[in-house]
Amino acid sequence: MRPQNLSATLVVLVIGAAIPRPAVSQNRWEREVQRQLQRAVNAVTTNARRSPLFTKTGPLNEEEAETFLVTLERGVTYSILGVCDNDCSRLQLLLATQSNELAIDRNSETLPVLRFTPSATTVYRIRVVMEGCRWNPCWYAVAVVPVGKNPP
Amino acid sequence: MLASQEDNHSGRPTIIVRGAEESPVAVRYIEAVLDSTWHALGLAETKIRIAVVIELAQPRNVANRPTPPERAAYLAPDSTDRTTCIALLPAGPYWTRYLLGKREAPDAWFGGFAQWLQAGLGPCAFYAAYGTPGKPVRRWLAARNWDVALFLGSRGIAGERFSSLDLLGDSRYSWYWDQVYSFRPATVACLAGRSSGCRAAVLDGADAASPAAGPQIVRSERRWWRGQRLLPGERYLSDVAREVGRERFQGFWASSLPVDTALAAALKQPIGEWTEQWERRFIAPIRLGAAAPWGVTAVALLLGAVAVLAVMLTASRRQVR
Repeated sequence: MRPQNLSATLVVLVIGAAIPRPAVSQNRWEREVQRQLQRAVNAVTTNARRSPLFTKTGPLNEEEAETFLVTLERGVTYSILGVCDNDCSRLQLLLATQSNELAIDRNSETLPVLRFTPSATTVYRIRVVMEGCRWNPCWYAVAVVPVGKNPP
Repeated sequence: MLASQEDNHSGRPTIIVRGAEESPVAVRYIEAVLDSTWHALGLAETKIRIAVVIELAQPRNVANRPTPPERAAYLAPDSTDRTTCIALLPAGPYWTRYLLGKREAPDAWFGGFAQWLQAGLGPCAFYAAYGTPGKPVRRWLAARNWDVALFLGSRGIAGERFSSLDLLGDSRYSWYWDQVYSFRPATVACLAGRSSGCRAAVLDGADAASPAAGPQIVRSERRWWRGQRLLPGERYLSDVAREVGRERFQGFWASSLPVDTALAAALKQPIGEWTEQWERRFIAPIRLGAAAPWGVTAVALLLGAVAVLAVMLTASRRQVR
């Protein structure tokens, strides 16, 4: 690599790392999915008025996926909700343990919902897959909401 | 280093000016010019933010001055941040002096500073307008160093009528042909009006493997027009986008289909035919192979005829004893 090219590369990388990123909700797509998620959470917790155990928002390009780890309690029923912005055409949610897939929603297009009651308290994997996005990246939001406790 | 105040909801690029002299006036001026450019491109709040870093040239009398980057460079999103594209633009001595108020620059000079800034947005302008490309388009553009998406706009990379074809010069001179034949065969075939050549020139790199993991940096070359695979490639995708409309271009850009399928679907026409017609807007088909000028041909035929006549005359007077 020529010295000038190396210099340009280093300058771009250093500046890229140094540019300050805003810390709170920044663009309309992120705000949009946060509003949608809030509505979805309100819908599943109408009577219980519970707050989500876990929420996550972020951008994904088409065919990309993100995995989160979350500890779910035995005997508690959870709703796992996913929403995505208006440019997204298909979002998939998957719940798994370290070794097995437990539940998947491929049919709800932009509002996948899983309902699950763990038989053991342990760490579960929630995988969100951006299957269709007309304008990359598409913003998604996921929430895990406890909706009731069942006797073991 | 001076930076503009970012307005998160306008979508306007962040501007950072690096140089030995700090000039808030220059930053405000660049902000105003970039605002106009942004509106001219029809952009508002975008999914991919742009940061423009303008590197002012160092004064000659600064000791141990670092080697400045010669050409623009672009850091694609997903390199350090999912949603930010960074354009590094070395201003060079001319625009540095202009920005610091030490010289006037006529607007007519290659479209003036606004044109320079718009051209400098390069691939970042496409990211802002259409988001991150789908994987096949991303691989294709990376394989050819974004040569078909260097400029987004309707006026040409350096003014209304200018394109990289103008840098070839005049076809009456031999160096024009030296340059033409330094291009790839498909590029030359497209210049000659062969649609199969145009198709090959456009799809060059479409079957490339994914680029290596890590930061994706697009660097413009010193004489970028010499390495083009399609002429004037710098405006190709910009013209495609304008011709097919936003929705169809967006479908191509984000598609997970192979590039040839997605582009033909957007164009609603075979790629080779569309591109051959597009190229005709800028240049008449060149003639390939040996082609002697008419005058030289006529003289040669005349000399040949004279020689034949002389032989016939000699033969008719010849006596055999």
